[in-house]
Amino acid sequence: MAENRNDDAAAAVESHSLKHQILEAGQVHVSAYGHSYFSPSTTGAKTAAWSTYRTANGSTENGFASNSGYHHVQQTEVSRDVQSGLTSATNSSTLSTLGAANGLQEPCAYASYPTSADPHGYENTAYANYPAYGYPPQTNPSYPPAQQVGSYPTSGAPPYRSHPSFQITSSYGPSTSYSSTHYNAAADYQTTGGYQSSGYDNQTNMWYDYGNYQYPNYPSDSVGAHNSSTAAVTQLQYQPHYQQWANDYSQNASDVSCAPGTENMSVTTISTPNCAVPGISSGYPCYPASGSQPPPPGTTSWRPSSSSSEIHSVQVQQASSAIVDNHDDSWKVGTPGLQTNNLCQMPTSYQQPSDSNLISHETFENRQRTLCPQTPYPQYPSAHQAPNPQYPSAHQAPNPQYPSGHQEPNPQYPSSNQASNLQFTTARQAPNLQFPTSHQPPNLQFPMAHQVSQTFQSPSQTGPTFQQILELLPLWPSACPKTEKDTSAPDVASKPAYISVSIPKSNKVSHGAAETPMTVMFPKSFCAYVERALARCKDDADKVACQNILKEMTSKARADGTLFTRNWDIEPLFFIPNTSVDSLNKDNQQSTVIGSSQPKYKKSPSKRGKSRWEPIAEEKLAEKIASVSQDPVKDASWDRLREREKIALSGKQDVKDCNFSDIKFFSSQQQALPSKNAQKQVKKQRLNNGTNAVENDDASSESDREQGLGAYYSGAIALANSPEERKRRENRSKRFDKGHGHRGEIKYFRPKGGIGAGNLHRRTSSPLLNKNYEDGYSRAVEDMDWDSLTVKGTCQEIEKRYLRLTSAPDPTTVRPEEVLEKALFMVQNSQKNYFYKCDQLKSIRQDLTVQRIRNELTVKVYETHARLALEAGDVPEYNQCQSQLKSLYAEGNKGCYMEFSAYNLLCAILHSNNNRDLVASMARLSAEAKKDDAVKHALAVRAAVTSGNYILFFRLYKTAPNLNTCLMDLYVEKMRFEAVRCMSRSYRPTVPVAFVAQVLGFTSNAAMEVSEEKDTDGLEECDEWLRAHGASIIVDSNGEKQLDTKVSSSSLYMPEPDDAVAHGDTSLAVNDFLTRTS
Amino acid sequence: MAYLSMGEAHRRITEYLNRFSDAVSSLDGASLKPLLAVSSNSPHLLSLADSLNIFQDASRLIKQSDKYSQIGDVLLPLLRSLQSFRIRRFVDAYIAYEKSSNAFLQEFRNWESAWAMEAVYVIAYEIRVLAERADRELASSGKIPEKLKGAGSFLMKVFGALAGKGPKRVGALYVTCQLFKVYFKLGTVHLCRSVIRSIETARIFDFEEFPIRDKVTYMYYTGRLEVFNENFLAADQKLTYALKHCNPQSEANIRMILKYLVPVKLSIGILPTKWLLEKYNLVEYTDVVHALKRGDLRLLRHALQEHEDRFLRSGVYLVLEKLELQVYQRLVKKIYIIQKQRDPSKAHQVKLEVIVKALKWLEMDMDVDEVECIMAILIYKNLMKGYFAHKSKVVVLSKQDPFPKLNGKPVNS
Repeated sequence: MAENRNDDAAAAVESHSLKHQILEAGQVHVSAYGHSYFSPSTTGAKTAAWSTYRTANGSTENGFASNSGYHHVQQTEVSRDVQSGLTSATNSSTLSTLGAANGLQEPCAYASYPTSADPHGYENTAYANYPAYGYPPQTNPSYPPAQQVGSYPTSGAPPYRSHPSFQITSSYGPSTSYSSTHYNAAADYQTTGGYQSSGYDNQTNMWYDYGNYQYPNYPSDSVGAHNSSTAAVTQLQYQPHYQQWANDYSQNASDVSCAPGTENMSVTTISTPNCAVPGISSGYPCYPASGSQPPPPGTTSWRPSSSSSEIHSVQVQQASSAIVDNHDDSWKVGTPGLQTNNLCQMPTSYQQPSDSNLISHETFENRQRTLCPQTPYPQYPSAHQAPNPQYPSAHQAPNPQYPSGHQEPNPQYPSSNQASNLQFTTARQAPNLQFPTSHQPPNLQFPMAHQVSQTFQSPSQTGPTFQQILELLPLWPSACPKTEKDTSAPDVASKPAYISVSIPKSNKVSHGAAETPMTVMFPKSFCAYVERALARCKDDADKVACQNILKEMTSKARADGTLFTRNWDIEPLFFIPNTSVDSLNKDNQQSTVIGSSQPKYKKSPSKRGKSRWEPIAEEKLAEKIASVSQDPVKDASWDRLREREKIALSGKQDVKDCNFSDIKFFSSQQQALPSKNAQKQVKKQRLNNGTNAVENDDASSESDREQGLGAYYSGAIALANSPEERKRRENRSKRFDKGHGHRGEIKYFRPKGGIGAGNLHRRTSSPLLNKNYEDGYSRAVEDMDWDSLTVKGTCQEIEKRYLRLTSAPDPTTVRPEEVLEKALFMVQNSQKNYFYKCDQLKSIRQDLTVQRIRNELTVKVYETHARLALEAGDVPEYNQCQSQLKSLYAEGNKGCYMEFSAYNLLCAILHSNNNRDLVASMARLSAEAKKDDAVKHALAVRAAVTSGNYILFFRLYKTAPNLNTCLMDLYVEKMRFEAVRCMSRSYRPTVPVAFVAQVLGFTSNAAMEVSEEKDTDGLEECDEWLRAHGASIIVDSNGEKQLDTKVSSSSLYMPEPDDAVAHGDTSLAVNDFLTRTS
Repeated sequence: MAYLSMGEAHRRITEYLNRFSDAVSSLDGASLKPLLAVSSNSPHLLSLADSLNIFQDASRLIKQSDKYSQIGDVLLPLLRSLQSFRIRRFVDAYIAYEKSSNAFLQEFRNWESAWAMEAVYVIAYEIRVLAERADRELASSGKIPEKLKGAGSFLMKVFGALAGKGPKRVGALYVTCQLFKVYFKLGTVHLCRSVIRSIETARIFDFEEFPIRDKVTYMYYTGRLEVFNENFLAADQKLTYALKHCNPQSEANIRMILKYLVPVKLSIGILPTKWLLEKYNLVEYTDVVHALKRGDLRLLRHALQEHEDRFLRSGVYLVLEKLELQVYQRLVKKIYIIQKQRDPSKAHQVKLEVIVKALKWLEMDMDVDEVECIMAILIYKNLMKGYFAHKSKVVVLSKQDPFPKLNGKPVNS
């Protein structure tokens, strides 16, 4: 805060002016807020607070800028009260934070000039929002109707403007509210949604952050309500506004668009004519003010944040200082322009503005007030008119700046962005600084009003400063001309607003170029085209040339009647004579083209660190922009926003389209989906535009990524914009429709956000995968390339304990193939027991699986494990291996196929007791396989078993190849019992135990041949076994043991297995198992 | 393909659509039936498919009229299926047909009466046939044939729509039979169990109520299942039922039944006549029967080896293999009879070495222990009455009925 204050002090007058503008913007916002708030304010407390705030603001504003104070005091009070009520808390907090943030951000912003471009874009978007805000009066009315939320939305709309102001200081409050509203509006969903929507792009981020910050404050009150209906409304309005503004900004096109926008506005506002009028006027003012002032701050902060480059910061600082001066100058300059506009629009208003605030800021304030006043509609109109004129002047001034920034940025985006960013940053800084100083007190007292007023003042100051900055900056010069153009554009925009307001005449007049009507008449696609064309412009000169060409084209098209029939989407862009090609311009262009202004910045890790600040800065910027929207900055931001939006959306849809759709949706009150879409788009825009801005404090990393992605994608966006892609995205997003709460909303937004959205999706849906996706975020979730997700192990440990995975495998704990080979060798030569080997083999298998290695090594591992399992009698484990081996062999991997098909047969015969399986596996055997010893043996065993030929069985048992013995082992008991039963039934009177022992394999062949001892061992074993099974054994006269078959035949039984365990699986009897296997 | 004018094509398609929608609206299952039989290659459907290939915009026709669009979900994929089938793209045809059938089934569920039962039969049949063809197409292109599996699950759905109270339940057995065919083809006969259970335990099904055709098929398949389970008595009963009720004109069906019934009868000691085996071309069993009659183990093993593939495929190999014991019994009986002719007083004592010698003569290389084991098993399985004296290596036969006949009872096991 202190810093801010100092900064403010430094920038003092200028900043004040800026602040004024900002404040105005803020006021406008406030007014919007006020409206919204008012509607919400239904909550008396808030309104009261707001009113107080307003009063306070008014006073402060008055102190700062008599004009602003006037208007503010009068009109704003109510709105301010509401806003202040809401924002007061947030403002105070936000202001402080913002101040600090701003202070910090400013340098950063400077450094981040390139990023600033993004911010600009964002700002532009914000501007667009602002326009909406400017429109806000209308929107506000609509919002209020919508709900208190609606008011929020209005505030949300204001947010953009307010954001700038917020960023500065009190603007925070507004911004917060705005953001919240924005979120609401945009999101329909909720705050997030609002955020996205409001955050169109950069702003969105900003907003988000703000929203996050502010939300806490607002959320409970406004956010919720806002979210629902207002969000949609605001979004719609906003979008329209955006579009309009964008159009206006875009210049010719903007004019045209503006007209439409205004029309829309008017339509929307129709419900509350008064409101609409004020809103329009205020909105216009806001535009200029916010545009000029707020955006600068925001941009600066954004830029700094986004690009940590020191140079930028330096520049920003310089710019800020210069800006202050410049602002004044620009303001002055702008004022003429504005005046013209204003004059055209509202001579009367002019007077009022002039009275209230000679400074455009004042007018802004007036406008804001007017907006706030909405209730006092009569006043509003007048005030509005006055503000409008003033605003226009302010606008022009700001616009010039903005335009320069904007136009340049648009065409040049890079340069313009930077310039604009610089401007913005400076402006923001200035505002911020000022705000802190002046604001803080006011903020505390009257968050809204103060902010607004301050913002206005600061804007006024900043406006000049911005201009100065711009001027100072290489870009600025070009920007200045552009700004002029921009101003015209803003004027146009304002005019449309006016028109909508019902002061079409004045608007038209101000437009002078009859752009307003044109704007009304221009098709979206044309607006987009214009934006595209402007986006190419690298500097002001380019913009001017571009504008001229566009004007010619427009008039031609008009004359031809092809304006509406031509497919502007595919119309090739004309050649722009190179007025000045700066690297900056290039950057700007890139950024603009990309939509996400500065990918690098976004990508840069520095962003993250800054991100937190940036969001604030963005918010501030946004607020400023919102407030500034009145100023050139706003215009610039608008342009940028438009450009960005358009660019970003161009493929998908123009921002306008989005806005329109949103508007429509809003109008229809289809909040959810449309708004979502709008929000998504907005988000996209935000992402693209304000990759920097997008960087939220909380989600800094994510947002950064997204932004970075957005930047990346920006290039790809053109491709991604295709209708097909859009559809796909929508489909994709639909998948998440069912998602709950924020997530779902976010997802929605993200999907719509295009690539960026996609990234977001991923992030939200699978944070783990996000990392992987960062690089390839372009991939849709459905298109997931599992190859890219397959882990490549890096672990060099040969030994590894098996642990069932409960999460994605960590490459550092996964062994690569060559290590696994060593591990297998180690296991094969290990002297340890089966448990150890099984554990090791399982971990090897796991590593193979996660790395998707399916080759002969895999076969070896499974074969080794299967053999070990057979030796240990671990049938379940063997079955696992066997089923894997089956598919591995089927895939053509070489291995001991015969051996294992013999095992398979034996398994089917001895353990599954399923004749059909047995027949099937027999039928599968090839003639070649039937010649294999192991298979032949298995088939013979089968025959012996099916016929009950125990002699054959035990002979085969003794001659079993491989591990067939092990499988037969498991059947021996059963076979012996059956044999003894058979013998005791068929033999009479006795059978020598020796014979039984020999026949039933109790003695091995080797034993029989080698030593009698072993033979007797076998005999005794047989004796024991027979007794254990209930056989009756007698000793005959020769002393030979005989099996008394007649007695035994009825007394034989199958004893309970000694190793029986309660769970029925003896292999799980660890102790016994250990003894068996170790 | 004869040239078809656009107008003619349009006319044919419209006619088909009209017939279809008329059949549905007039609840005329009989006339609906041929319209669904994609694989019937009826001239009408063939020309329709040709028309569809010329007139590509049939979907528009369907959408244009309310009459069609109501059942558009059925018609549109059905036409596509017809078209694909005509150009022999069976996978596409199957996919489209299943889609159409699903839509039809949806409608069918809502119809109170069972008027469309004929159509459901056709669908159940077509879905299986198309799936088989699609799988062949998939397999030939190196892909995984999975359509028949899909058809199985679809038929289960159809079964679910039929199994229940009401007039539709009479169709359940037909679908069950189609399911059997699918499962037997896929080798997933264990899946039959649930269907069988619902048929045999559900009170709502009175088995005799079902059409005779379905009953025969059902009995045939369940009889085969019993063969696999070596449940010879039940298998005999089911297969005999099938044979008895089978249309005597359809010799192929009778042969299929006999293919399983003959081994079952053999294993319970009933031998077929030579005439039967010849009439139904079951010559692979001829040697088996001879071996049983003569006690010629060599012949039996030879016959088994000769037709191993066929027996393994039909799943009767193990059944036939178990006839070995009966062959041993026949062999010992022959020795006993010869001894009796020579010396009736000592005929009931058959020396082990004699049996070994006889087996040697049959080129069966078995040692004394092995033959002793066989004798023990024969006694144990109650194929011989008597006992074996280990000390003297003599089989002592009972003086009364030493070789009991099975007489329709399976060998003790």
